[in-house]
Amino acid sequence: MAKEHNKNSERPVAEKGEHIIARHLIDDDAIKEEKNLVIDGVDVSGRWNTFIETRVDSEFDRSFFDEIQKTVVGSRINRCWQCGMCTASCTVTPLYRRFNPRAFIYMMQLGNLKLLKKYTDVAWRCVGCYKCSQRCPKQVNPAEMMEALALLIKKYFPEEIKSKHQLTIDEEVKVIYEGMILGHGRLDLANLHTSAMRKMGKTTELMSDKDERGAIFKMMKDGRALSVLRLGKPHKWHKSKDAIDNYLRHTGTLEQENN
Amino acid sequence: MGNLKENQAAYYPGCALLTIDRAYNNSSKLVSKKMGIELVDIPDYNCCGIGEMKSKGAVSLYLPLRNMVIAKSELGSKDLVMACSVCYHEFTRSIERAKEDKKLLDEVNSILKEADEEEYVPEGGARHILEFLYNEKGPDEAKKNTVKPLKGLKVAPYYGCLYSRPSMYTFTDKKQGMDNSERPHFMHEFLESIGAEVVQYGNEVQCCGGRNVVQDEETSFTLCSQTLSKAKKAGADVLAVICPKCAGALDVNQPKIIEKFGKDSELPVVYLTQLMALAFGFSEKEAQFSDMISNPLEVLKEKGHFI
Repeated sequence: MAKEHNKNSERPVAEKGEHIIARHLIDDDAIKEEKNLVIDGVDVSGRWNTFIETRVDSEFDRSFFDEIQKTVVGSRINRCWQCGMCTASCTVTPLYRRFNPRAFIYMMQLGNLKLLKKYTDVAWRCVGCYKCSQRCPKQVNPAEMMEALALLIKKYFPEEIKSKHQLTIDEEVKVIYEGMILGHGRLDLANLHTSAMRKMGKTTELMSDKDERGAIFKMMKDGRALSVLRLGKPHKWHKSKDAIDNYLRHTGTLEQENN
Repeated sequence: MGNLKENQAAYYPGCALLTIDRAYNNSSKLVSKKMGIELVDIPDYNCCGIGEMKSKGAVSLYLPLRNMVIAKSELGSKDLVMACSVCYHEFTRSIERAKEDKKLLDEVNSILKEADEEEYVPEGGARHILEFLYNEKGPDEAKKNTVKPLKGLKVAPYYGCLYSRPSMYTFTDKKQGMDNSERPHFMHEFLESIGAEVVQYGNEVQCCGGRNVVQDEETSFTLCSQTLSKAKKAGADVLAVICPKCAGALDVNQPKIIEKFGKDSELPVVYLTQLMALAFGFSEKEAQFSDMISNPLEVLKEKGHFI
């Protein structure tokens, strides 16, 4: 909050545009606001005279829209009418204010890659709690739309994934999951956890931190950590794997390009 | 394998329940059997995709549906019972998507054919063990089987996300007999029927960090500490969960959460079925309480539920 006070009153004056919800979505230059303004004797300082300049989007790309609609997760993008119920119910938004599912879907509808690129650092943070999909009045399924968003980021901004630490980790953990699920047909959770910790550079924590070691040691000791070895692969899983690989090579959609 | 008998049900164990969450698997089976239904594992199961394969198109449907096909061909069962909420979500999602989208169903079936599996016909459904026990037997049956009521034990029920959401897949509120999507109550009723005291704390259907439990610990720890501390503040002795992923976030990671957010987040976590097993007269060893990292044994002993 601003500490500055208006000459005529004790009312605090906010920072420019501070009261606008989802302030980060609007460019600084587009906000017109006078800090001290009196019209006809009425004090309209700060937020009382705020104007936002009309935004014109000239880079509307419809092909982008079709590309998303063809994926399994993004098939309902056409239904969204931007009510914002998804953002209002989101688990992540209160923790990371720039994570705004409604705005992401809007950018995807418009095909506005320039704007999307600004949000690659938070776009991956969806926790998949499905509150948005539960409350969406148009059954857009925003939770799965965030998966479609991840596909777009992977296709159009691969350099962002390589250069941003957390994005790199998210991607690497996904690859571990994929290797286990598609490669072996079953998940080895203990192995997944330790591999992910290693990717995150938490090797020392894995070995020295007493709490972390506690949980893993306990599971090693009572045999749970290694019990997956007893399970093995599903019978004739190699046939499933070949069929899956074959499908992913020929979908002709975003899903294929990301494979 | 032959068809199931009348008091049997096809059961999908899943990866977590056969390995690190064996306590949930075993207690679910003990409780079901006591209530009169034997859970029979489907042979040759494969991973459901755990929500990480959603961007792989029809493959994300193939993974759960291959198991539905096996349940039908090997056990003659259209329905499949499972205890993990993430598996439950993947199965219900795949079945609903396959029902509404013929093209997608054809794609799944062509993968199934190439993989030398039988065709999937959309029928029957996936059932979460909580909903299954509630609708097939009900809290009254649980009460009848209770020999050691958990008197004086304050339990905070934690449903998490995917058991009740989204109703487009789970049919909560939509189909008769299903739970409420915003205020689920099946676990409340079971806990009351076994004599425990249910604590209200406001975070019953909040998220534990879900998809990002592994790769985004920071977010998961924050969410979990809110749930744990709220339940503790409301006076809970233990937090009851119905999903191994929630348990991973709230139980296995709890020492790290306490390190970051303090002792307010220190609260033993157990599975609902473990508590039910205890009330049904099974020992603490059979219910495998010692498997939990957050050490529920101490508080349960203190409350006098063990000999």
